[in-house]
Amino acid sequence: MAVVAPAPERTHIENLERVWRERPGVLGWLTTVDHKRIGLLYFWTTIVFFAAGGLEALLMRTQLATADQRVIGPETYDQLMTMHGVTMIFFFIIPMTTGAFGNYLVPLMIGARDMAFPRLNALSYWIFLGAGIFMYSSFLVHQAPNAGWFDYVPLALRRYDGGLNVDFYALGLIFNTVASTIGALNLIVTIFKLRAPGMSWNRMPLFCFAMLAASLSLIFALPALTTDCIFLELQRKLGFHFFDNAHGGDALLWQHLFWIFGHPEVYIIVLPAFGIATSIIPTFARHRMVAFPLVAMAELLVAFIGFGVWAHHMFATGIASTTLAFFAAASMMVVIPSTIQIYAWLMTVNIGTPEFRAPLMFIGGFILFFVIGGLSGIMFAAIPFDQATTDTYFVVAHFHFIIFGAAVFPLLGGIYYWFPKVTGRMYDERLAQLSFWLTFAGTTLTFFPMHIVGLLGMTRRVYTYDHGLGWDAYNLLETIGGYILAGGLLLIAFNIARSYRRAVPAGRDPFNGGTLEWTTTSPPPHYNFAVIPTVSSPYPNWDERDREEDLRRLARGDLVLDVGHETPESTVNDALPSAIAEMPPESPWPILVALTLTIAFFLLLTSHYATAGGFFALTVLTLAGWNAQEPNEVAA
Amino acid sequence: MSRSRLELLQWFGLFGGALAWTLQHVVGYGISDSGCSVAGAQWDLHAAALQATLSLVTGAVVVAAWVAAFVAFRETRAIDADAPGPSGRIHFFAQAALLGNVLFLVIVVLDGVSSIYHLPCRQS
Amino acid sequence: MTAAALPVHQARAKGWWGMVVFVTTEATLFGTLVGTYVYLRFHNAHWPPQQLPKPPVLTPTLLTAALVTTSVAGHIASRAVSNAQRERAWRSLAAVFAVQLVYLVWQLHDYVHTIHVYKPQASAWASVYVTLLGADHAHVFVGVLLSAWFLVRIRSRLSRYRVVGVQAAAFYWHAVNVITLVVLGVQLSPYL
Repeated sequence: MAVVAPAPERTHIENLERVWRERPGVLGWLTTVDHKRIGLLYFWTTIVFFAAGGLEALLMRTQLATADQRVIGPETYDQLMTMHGVTMIFFFIIPMTTGAFGNYLVPLMIGARDMAFPRLNALSYWIFLGAGIFMYSSFLVHQAPNAGWFDYVPLALRRYDGGLNVDFYALGLIFNTVASTIGALNLIVTIFKLRAPGMSWNRMPLFCFAMLAASLSLIFALPALTTDCIFLELQRKLGFHFFDNAHGGDALLWQHLFWIFGHPEVYIIVLPAFGIATSIIPTFARHRMVAFPLVAMAELLVAFIGFGVWAHHMFATGIASTTLAFFAAASMMVVIPSTIQIYAWLMTVNIGTPEFRAPLMFIGGFILFFVIGGLSGIMFAAIPFDQATTDTYFVVAHFHFIIFGAAVFPLLGGIYYWFPKVTGRMYDERLAQLSFWLTFAGTTLTFFPMHIVGLLGMTRRVYTYDHGLGWDAYNLLETIGGYILAGGLLLIAFNIARSYRRAVPAGRDPFNGGTLEWTTTSPPPHYNFAVIPTVSSPYPNWDERDREEDLRRLARGDLVLDVGHETPESTVNDALPSAIAEMPPESPWPILVALTLTIAFFLLLTSHYATAGGFFALTVLTLAGWNAQEPNEVAA
Repeated sequence: MSRSRLELLQWFGLFGGALAWTLQHVVGYGISDSGCSVAGAQWDLHAAALQATLSLVTGAVVVAAWVAAFVAFRETRAIDADAPGPSGRIHFFAQAALLGNVLFLVIVVLDGVSSIYHLPCRQS
Repeated sequence: MTAAALPVHQARAKGWWGMVVFVTTEATLFGTLVGTYVYLRFHNAHWPPQQLPKPPVLTPTLLTAALVTTSVAGHIASRAVSNAQRERAWRSLAAVFAVQLVYLVWQLHDYVHTIHVYKPQASAWASVYVTLLGADHAHVFVGVLLSAWFLVRIRSRLSRYRVVGVQAAAFYWHAVNVITLVVLGVQLSPYL
């Protein structure tokens, strides 16, 4: 855009600014429906949870540094161990990838002005915050969840775990599930209906395919967890029978339902990371992604086939081999789409003219960790090997290489990559590269020795171990690695903070990225695009003719849609224009609904069922108020 | 080829194999689990025959889906990758389905063979 | 609204799609409940347990048949709002609401009785049965709330927001009717 736009364009831009502007100050943040602000709220909140989960990890590693320590006792260790897993998975990585990155970037990448349901978007954030506060309030009463992040029965039944710990877990997860479901729903409908006219499926960026795959998985996976937790609470609080064999139930029922959720969950964790990688690689390789249709399909296939592998978490439970074979077969084949992606990424870098700046280095680290973690994972698909290593630190090594190496590394790269877009300021490249090496070293030193100590027989979830088992040196290395890793992460945070203060201007497009977010100012205006973009490929920022066409359309007032809070709706498959959607302005209803729901869940926790029912009824009334406030109709 | 025929081929190619594998996975797991459980002992389940039939039928559907995807791919071979929908989109999904159905066929075959090969109701 | 006239293609509104995705979650939830019923059935020699009477089927079948007819009225309401026929839509909605309300009150009365007879605290079968039925009734209850809400909302006038709302609600009612048929199937299964 020119610095001083000619007269008609200036009027359009003034109109858009006036319509899309939100209230200033704290009240503006509490009532925001802007996907970029909600993305930032998610970002900061998940960073706090990341720090909490990291602190829990460091406490555990300190306790395990040498044998026979009593820095932390067994009860506290159980709570730390459980909350570390629960926090990292439910309150850090999923909300960070879908809520922060997904919310902020998807509307921009598809050429829309907001998510499909802006108020619902805000609701998903406030419910997530409420659920996080609910879960962490358990520490205040020293009754944090303590039966492991997957909370197996019969240990989690009232008979063996009678306090509030497991009730916090089950109710907290049901509550958080509402936020995740709403968030996934919003992403799916946004991707289906709000793509800029002309952005048919073959022209949609790979990041959006990854978010679509993750969101569809969430929709199909979360109900299994909800059902499991409802069964658990009904059994614990009302004496129902689902999990005890004596009354016709089955202890394995918990595991089946949990892993029908739990395995797709790990693909939900890693798919957005694939999406970030497939955004960063073409930019810094300066080449389109090789085999684009296969990479897009691979992302969807990983999610789909991932629904068929769940019992590979149950290979040691005594289920018949004819049954387990189905899961072993699917587990072996689910690797193939990921492998295709790895080859495509490597070939793209090879064919292109790569520039190894910090974001690409984090992706390089990600690919290495993903390969190692994937190899240890495929070893588990062989049932005999799995039965020998189940519940040892070999498993812990595998999933940390995947979750930390393959999910968090792209996040860190993505933070550097999109920091200039979100803030308009450039990060310090040298410090960023140093922070990469420190984090890389810390990750390797923390998690690699776990493979060895696991094969030497160290089991999971032990708060201490004896001298003389040969595990001491490895554990000490891992603890040192943990502190180095923490140092690397703190260095990244320091770099981000310092770069923000130094405020070196980044400009609209410092890396020559291919997708639409790079066509806007940094940071983008409230309305994202002055004119809904013309799209002819998955890399619109590299299509100069289309960008020139946009300027001409702005001058003509074509698809500017500045009369109300408007964005176009289009058809699902071929993005043919179908309607103009009127979006709601900022609203107090989402935070009010989240508040009433939070109170209702606390009341359920403390068995005040009637009063809880009252607050659920109040929630319904608040929803009615919400629905009664319609987005302003614009006269045609 | 008519537009609606091409669309049908593309959508069947994309979803047919996936749904066929899903059916084999769920029903096959059910046959095996019920055959080896308390209730199943009371019924006279010819597990091996059922699994074989299931695998052959679903395998055939996966192959049909791959063929449908191939026909759609060939029809749109001259279309540019970045072309607008519907042809661009059909070409894109046809390629995607060519990959997907190969994977589904391999899983169906592995499932079918192993569900018959293993001794029934033996713990691993 | 826009300077250039875009050729506008017929398509379902985003609000309708939102309901489709929501229904998908709920249908999956019922899938896990029915799946649990089937899974535990394999693990029990007698299902329901021998000492329990088989669940009643006549009343649930008749009530469900009545409920399913709301799909007809619901469809009429949905078409009517699309054609700006506010009065016709309101009458159809009123029919949906009336049938749903009668169904729900009757079923809830029977539900209390069911809990006393089958005692979820005594067996897994009763626990799953009562939970499955309760989930279905809860979803019909939400359907009643939606009917009542839109009866109020379209009494005065239609807006695009309300039109999409009625279309989305109609989809929800169809889905709940299908789910109720499946639940009825589970209730009938001991007789098969």
